Amino acid sequence: MTIAEKKNRVIEPETLIGKRIAKMDAPEKASGRTRYIHDINLSGQLHGKILRSGRIHALIKSIDTSAAKALPGVHVVITAADIPDQRPIGVAKDHFPLKVGRVRSQRDEIAAVAAESEEIAEAALKLIKVEYEDLPVISDPEEAIKPGAALIHPEPHGADGSHEHLKQGMSIAHKGKPDNIAMRFDYAHGDVVQGEAESDVVVEDTFKLHYVTHCCMGVSGMIAEFDASGNLLMYSNTQVPFLHKREFAEYLNMDPARIRIIQPPIGGGFGSKLDIYPFEVICLYLARAAKRPVKMLFTREEEFLASPTRQPVLLTLRSGCKKDGTLTFRQVHTLHDNGAYTSWGATTPFVMMQTFSSLYRVPHCDYHTAAVYTNNPYAGSFRGYGNLQATFAIEQHMDMLAEAIGMDPLEFRMKNAQDAGEVSGQGMSFKSCGFKDCITTAATRSDFSRKFRENAANRKKPGNIKRGIGMASMLHVGGGAKIYPSDGCGTILKMDDFANVTLITGASEIGQGSETVLSQLVCEELGLPISAITVVNNDTAITPWDVGVHASRTTFIAGNSAIGAAKKAKSKILAVAAKKFECAEESLDLRGGFVIRGDSGEVVIELSKLLRNLHFQDKAELVMTTFYYEPPSVHQDKGFKGDVSAAYAWGTQVVEIELDTDTGFIKLVKVTGAHDVGRVLNRLGIEGQIEGGVVMGQGYAFTEDLIMENGIMKNPNFRDYKLVTAPEIPEMDIAFIESMDGEGPQGAKGVGEAPAICMAAAAANAIANATGVRMFELPFTPEKVYRAMHGQTPKLYWKPWRVE
Amino acid sequence: MTELKHYFAPTSLDQAVERLKDGDVTILAGGTDLTPQSQAGRIKFKHTLMNIRHIPQLSGITLEGREIRIGALATITEIMEHPLIKERLPVLVEACDHFASDQIRNAGTIGGNICNASPAGDMLIPLLVLDACVELASMPEAKIYRHCMPLSTFFVGPGKTRKSLCELVTGVRIPIPEANHVARFYKHGTRPALDISTISIGIAGTLVDGSLSNVRVAFGAVAPTPTRAAQTEQALEGQRLDEATIDKVAAIARDEVKPIDDVRATAWYRKEMIHNITKRILSHVAQA
Ligand SMILES: Cc1cc2nc3c(=O)[nH]c(=O)nc-3n(C[C@H](O)[C@H](O)[C@H](O)COP(=O)(O)OP(=O)(O)OC[C@H]3O[C@@H](n4cnc5c(N)ncnc54)[C@H](O)[C@@H]3O)c2cc1C
Repeated sequence: MTIAEKKNRVIEPETLIGKRIAKMDAPEKASGRTRYIHDINLSGQLHGKILRSGRIHALIKSIDTSAAKALPGVHVVITAADIPDQRPIGVAKDHFPLKVGRVRSQRDEIAAVAAESEEIAEAALKLIKVEYEDLPVISDPEEAIKPGAALIHPEPHGADGSHEHLKQGMSIAHKGKPDNIAMRFDYAHGDVVQGEAESDVVVEDTFKLHYVTHCCMGVSGMIAEFDASGNLLMYSNTQVPFLHKREFAEYLNMDPARIRIIQPPIGGGFGSKLDIYPFEVICLYLARAAKRPVKMLFTREEEFLASPTRQPVLLTLRSGCKKDGTLTFRQVHTLHDNGAYTSWGATTPFVMMQTFSSLYRVPHCDYHTAAVYTNNPYAGSFRGYGNLQATFAIEQHMDMLAEAIGMDPLEFRMKNAQDAGEVSGQGMSFKSCGFKDCITTAATRSDFSRKFRENAANRKKPGNIKRGIGMASMLHVGGGAKIYPSDGCGTILKMDDFANVTLITGASEIGQGSETVLSQLVCEELGLPISAITVVNNDTAITPWDVGVHASRTTFIAGNSAIGAAKKAKSKILAVAAKKFECAEESLDLRGGFVIRGDSGEVVIELSKLLRNLHFQDKAELVMTTFYYEPPSVHQDKGFKGDVSAAYAWGTQVVEIELDTDTGFIKLVKVTGAHDVGRVLNRLGIEGQIEGGVVMGQGYAFTEDLIMENGIMKNPNFRDYKLVTAPEIPEMDIAFIESMDGEGPQGAKGVGEAPAICMAAAAANAIANATGVRMFELPFTPEKVYRAMHGQTPKLYWKPWRVE
Repeated sequence: MTELKHYFAPTSLDQAVERLKDGDVTILAGGTDLTPQSQAGRIKFKHTLMNIRHIPQLSGITLEGREIRIGALATITEIMEHPLIKERLPVLVEACDHFASDQIRNAGTIGGNICNASPAGDMLIPLLVLDACVELASMPEAKIYRHCMPLSTFFVGPGKTRKSLCELVTGVRIPIPEANHVARFYKHGTRPALDISTISIGIAGTLVDGSLSNVRVAFGAVAPTPTRAAQTEQALEGQRLDEATIDKVAAIARDEVKPIDDVRATAWYRKEMIHNITKRILSHVAQA
């Protein structure tokens, strides 16, 4: 039989790309059937609880656990003394899960209990007696860098007061630090002195960014179980299962091969599960000691107290431009409040400096960060990773510089915006770049220029409601970020006898909709409906390696990986079909569950039939492929230069507000966004992603504030920590700029973090447009706005300072 | 682990007040204050938890002579949707409309709001300017004893009232406002839903020919209890609501309140808001 002989039906071309496809996990979630970690219970499981310090900075004099141990139903009580092989955790290895000798913040872990029930565990905690000796508290990073400031991680001293002799290469947790500097970052391109000399206008301001936290609806938790052979099974919501598997193995002194991580559906990530936290290691210690599974879940209050925060930043920015609107230089100094220990928050300068150096074309840039220890909560990674903070400063200065030279803010931005083909001073190469389209689209759709002029003219007119419009733009990695030796992701793809696909991917689903997008990409390649696919993505014993969910990388990296595996499957299938039907491989294609002739769409054979033939008759073979995708990005050099991502995402958001001058209350009326996403894959998914990001950015800008006073958290609850509620969510008009990235899967770029980044900056510009008053400190609560309008806000100034 | 030993759900007022005799009872209505407070360890349960939701005498919204009686168990939602309240006491609807969220309004009761005695309790301000009385029931001997107490004397401090441990609040009574009665309520917070008032203001009185008499002014979240503002009332009484009067009254209001700084706002801002919003309400009344 040849193709020519059989007149078959014709399958019309169809595409899944750009369609509105419901997330695959939506029916389960919407009907309340999803089993989160909270819903999983293993037989014989104990409940773990942690005793936290409550003191802010103190020496631990003694801990007495005897009464807790004696309580019926208690199986294990541990303190640092019970874990002699305890190793420090965290990004700088400055942190023991169970505190040794000293507590440095309110959330610090002193002891832990595993008991028959949560109630018994709680009761046992109350029976643990701890004696402390209070130490001076450092709650202000500016205090922490003063000469003679109390040290948070002092070097240990011997009994005679002399420095203890310490081995080289020991962690900070063991050898301490001579100062409170946790990390520093220094970057430069060009020569800012020259840049300043060439400037007609220079502005300098200090900006202050506050504490906020992720507020995942699902509180943190984990279940750990050692089997009879000593293998460890963890149910964990980590965003980085493979790297963490290795890290956990180190902390437990065991072979990583004997650790398996299963990731149940997650109740929110946003970057919060990118580091290993004390509770996780403590849960493992408890399970090891109890020889029973141990489940540990945070209370909501604990979630506030013991979760990482967004990085609070004090930032002084000096910027200049020429009269013709050309940017000349930018100089940035930041003081990062590291908190008591070091997590990813300290490394946000990686992202912040990209915005300063490369969002707009700037010939001279100088950037310095010192992350300093205090007795505050410690900051982790959080959607946007420093970019909300950097954008807040830079985009206000864009408006201020434009005003200073009497140029329209839109024109000023267009004059300095990057184009495709440019390589920035930091070495980022913008292969696809829809930045200017983002600016003009957002401006046109919101009627920016007219409203901007009219609002400014209305400032002095009577009436208590003032309208404002403000704009901000962003640049963020959109093709992964090469920070580890590999930024790759693996895929295993298998097809069954009925042409159903199982996609086994290293990429974790954290609610961003990756399963759906990956399925789309695979089905698009294989000409199958989305119903033909099952995704397995949550078990390190099954899934191939992936570096983790971060840096908006999953669609791009895991997408390319999935496409790679699908392409291999496709070429195997077409080769088999070509041979069977004696035609050229290139003349065939897959469509609608059939092998078809590429030119006419005529059906050649049903795909499932071909697969059965292959399996049972022709060659006794299965279609199973693997692929590992490594993006063509490079590591930055020591000066932080290099093309760190395979693609870059751009976006502009325009915010419109109504401000009540009687109260300072701001109503967010409308957000108009234009995002260069490369290409829209799942329209429904990407709209949800943008809308969610806008609301997260809105909370950062207006309502959310984790209030710290002398190291004490004043509002660890949803009553006083104010998330945005439904009636506050503004009208949104979101446009997508499809720059079709050459390396992206079907042209797409990452967009996960992007939509949260511009909101606070655009809101600040809108307030200035409405009132003529500039606000340099978040959040814009009614009282803060009212104070600023009544001259009750002293001008912030932090004198630029850097570690010498 | 709690001290709680018994759970009791009486089906009549007699059973309830009888059980209250020994005073060792925690009363549960909608539970929207009680539950978070006990979870946070701010209150301790007594030996008996008494669920009062099955007592028929505590529910309903009725016209009784020249008064409207709202049963203690009436939820915020019921009040908001009741035709009698909409017609005769629209200022209560206004307060309900800014109260929490739908879920909380469906569970939270007016009795609970009164007994919780928060300085920021949102129903309390309009009830104060409407001259509401609290109905109390107890069983000192073998028979039920009932009496009423003006709401303006009911509150003693945050969470503290003049109700004894043996008493149950059965409802509130509100005299039906006369013709030309005006009443306004304004709640100011940081967001439109699910917020504790930064400050709240209630103003009521009889408006004849542009001047206000029988004036009632009450402020929330500026003192240990929801309070009537005597000086502000006096300054307004019998005055025409012209611009000069409104300015003067707003300034008196600002000086009369003695708020504190807390996580929600500073005292300075609260005073400013009392001034600005008093002014705004009075201007609206004057224009109406
Ligand atoms: C998320 C959230 C939002 C909220 N928002 C608001 C808001 O916007 N405005 C506001 O004012 N409040 C708000 N509240 C507080 C609360 O909902 C109200 O105070 C509500 O009216 C309490 O009623 P309840 O029936 O739930 O009281 P409960 O919690 O059942 O009881 C409250 C107290 O009163 C006592 N009690 C109750 N009924 C009686 C009775 N008949 N006799 C004697 N004692 C009694 C109880 O013992 C308890 O001490 C909010 C609460 C939550 C959780």
